[in-house]
Amino acid sequence: MARRASGTRPRNRTGNAGSGESGVGPTGTGAASGLRGEDLVLRYPSMEAPVIDGERLVATPGAVTALVGPNGSGKSTLLKGLARQLAPEEGSVLLDGRDVHSMGTKELARKLGLLSQESTSPDSITVEDLVYHGRYPHRGFFETLTEEDRHAVDRAIELAGCGHLRDREVGSLSGGQKQLAWVAMVLAQDTDVLLLDEPTTFLDLHHQLEVMDIIGALRDESDITVVVVLHDVEQAARLADEMVALEDGDVRARGTPEEVVTEELLADVFRIDAEVERTDRGPRITPLRPRHGGGGDAVEADSPPTDAPRIE
Amino acid sequence: MPCDSLRHHRRVDLRVTRDPPGGVPVSRESALGAASGGATARERRFRWLVDPRLVTTALASVAVVVAAGLVQVSFGAYSMTLGQAWAAVFDPDVIFNRQAWNAFLLGGELPEMSQESLIVWNIRLPRVVVGAIVGMNLAVSGAIFQAVTRNELASPFILGVSSGAGLMILLVLVVFGGLAAFLPLVAAVGGAAAFLIVYAIAWKNGTSPIRLVLAGVIVGTVFGSVQTALFFFADDIGVVQSAIAWTTGSLSGTDWEQVRMVLPWSAVAILLAIAGSRQSNVMLLGEQTAKSLGMSIEKVRFALSGVAVLAAAASIAVAGIVGFVGLIVPHVVRNLVGSDYKKVIVGCLFVGPALLVGADVGARLALNPVQVPVGVVTGLVGGPYFLYLMRKQNSMGEI
Repeated sequence: MARRASGTRPRNRTGNAGSGESGVGPTGTGAASGLRGEDLVLRYPSMEAPVIDGERLVATPGAVTALVGPNGSGKSTLLKGLARQLAPEEGSVLLDGRDVHSMGTKELARKLGLLSQESTSPDSITVEDLVYHGRYPHRGFFETLTEEDRHAVDRAIELAGCGHLRDREVGSLSGGQKQLAWVAMVLAQDTDVLLLDEPTTFLDLHHQLEVMDIIGALRDESDITVVVVLHDVEQAARLADEMVALEDGDVRARGTPEEVVTEELLADVFRIDAEVERTDRGPRITPLRPRHGGGGDAVEADSPPTDAPRIE
Repeated sequence: MPCDSLRHHRRVDLRVTRDPPGGVPVSRESALGAASGGATARERRFRWLVDPRLVTTALASVAVVVAAGLVQVSFGAYSMTLGQAWAAVFDPDVIFNRQAWNAFLLGGELPEMSQESLIVWNIRLPRVVVGAIVGMNLAVSGAIFQAVTRNELASPFILGVSSGAGLMILLVLVVFGGLAAFLPLVAAVGGAAAFLIVYAIAWKNGTSPIRLVLAGVIVGTVFGSVQTALFFFADDIGVVQSAIAWTTGSLSGTDWEQVRMVLPWSAVAILLAIAGSRQSNVMLLGEQTAKSLGMSIEKVRFALSGVAVLAAAASIAVAGIVGFVGLIVPHVVRNLVGSDYKKVIVGCLFVGPALLVGADVGARLALNPVQVPVGVVTGLVGGPYFLYLMRKQNSMGEI
């Protein structure tokens, strides 16, 4: 019954970062799903050089892993690779130890859900109908809705907090309300692993917190494994159990938010001077000024790029 | 803690309880009574049909078809009074005569009937029936193509079907005169073949709506040029007129034979279109979402396109290439009943016939005794309607 506030949740819930690599959940009975990308090389067909060149990403079962990095650092590409939207040139993505490319499309969609950055739908579809589409991978071609489908949809709508929007047409909603509806849809998919691509970008503060809150609830009350791309480093630090910082397709740091969010990393990866203050709600970042010049030749001597932590 | 106040409502059990492997799922309802549970499930399955907007649309369309049909059967070369004509339509000797229906639908021998009944039932009514079926086919076909390409300006002929059929029609009429008896079949096959060519051109590790449409334009341009060139080799004005009637679409001279030809294919295509409407709905959420929901997008796209081509080809075989119906009707229906494809397809089954049968009244009687191709009339109606839409809506294009 006792709920913890988002700022004071236990960080030790998932144990150390490596504990989940066997694919077995920390609690044993929960059996949360592990997702890992090994030596991934990801490239868009139209591009010369790969966006991601031989990187490894392990999402701890049952935990929230946040991917952060500047624009064009390959966060979304990495997420697409994990979700099989983009076939890796080399390397593999393993879900519970199985290569996702050996799974059927529906089989995968029952285990792994993806909320893309830009989602479009016809304006006149109702929120409820949209959420029911989340049940697609659970239904056969001619199959009608089962009680299980209905329960999953009710639960997803309740969790996403959009019950009051249920009969509204998606076209009549605000951007934030739309996002809640889409979150409900991907929750109705009832997957073990959930990938979210910048779910809070373009939303007002209220809806940003709503979405963060949903992810927090997923972390605290279920054993769903979440990988989320976030633009806002502070937000990511507050939300995530683990963080991965990317720059130019390379993983520059991984670890707990306290380990990753440092002034050195912000200078090195995000090319800003900032103050990082430890609070009981996670690190607070006060951006000061942009750093000029290439990332390699740092202007100030006290933050050489090699100082960026690499936690394995 | 800004979000704490919001949190209490999210304290829900997140996971759907999965049934134990091999176990029988027992819900509370089925424990109470399996029979009543089944009935509610079936009720739920068809509840969407009782949408007042859909019912109104259907009833209004039926009224238009009936009115237009009654006008059609009342006028023609053999003059009879309205009373005579309508009495013939509702002639119980024909309606309840199994031999008559056997003759109409299966091609058996016609029973004895009065002169008026013979003319109404055997000459004037089949044209209305063919018009209605062609209207359904084109509307459903257009609706599917609009979902597949996610563009409301798509028509049944966007992926080369009309150009392939048109080219084959000209080839048969001008070059291979010996095949004239098989013209309907050849036209339909030509349309389907052109669709496959378009798909092959568009394919490069999969397709995309925009590549399909571009490939359709390429094939349409090339085939259209050849088709136009063939007109120069036509021997006489009769061949040219026949070619124009086929390539703009005409219902003149249609008979129960055409009904027999088009009915089975249409039934298959329409049933598949309704069965596939959920796939169309998911398709409308965009490729990426459809993929992440586990849709095998290329398979579904090809299958849905195939159904749409089947419907279009069947209608070409009996009526030629009737334009605009497949473009306008899904549009009208979407404005009336919303974008849920279950309702859109069902709405198309009513509005399509209303437009085509209504337009055919004009085609047949406006310039009496000259009959113009019905495609000319649908174009004359369709142009202004689109002008109206363009003025009314700010944006058109993506659904």
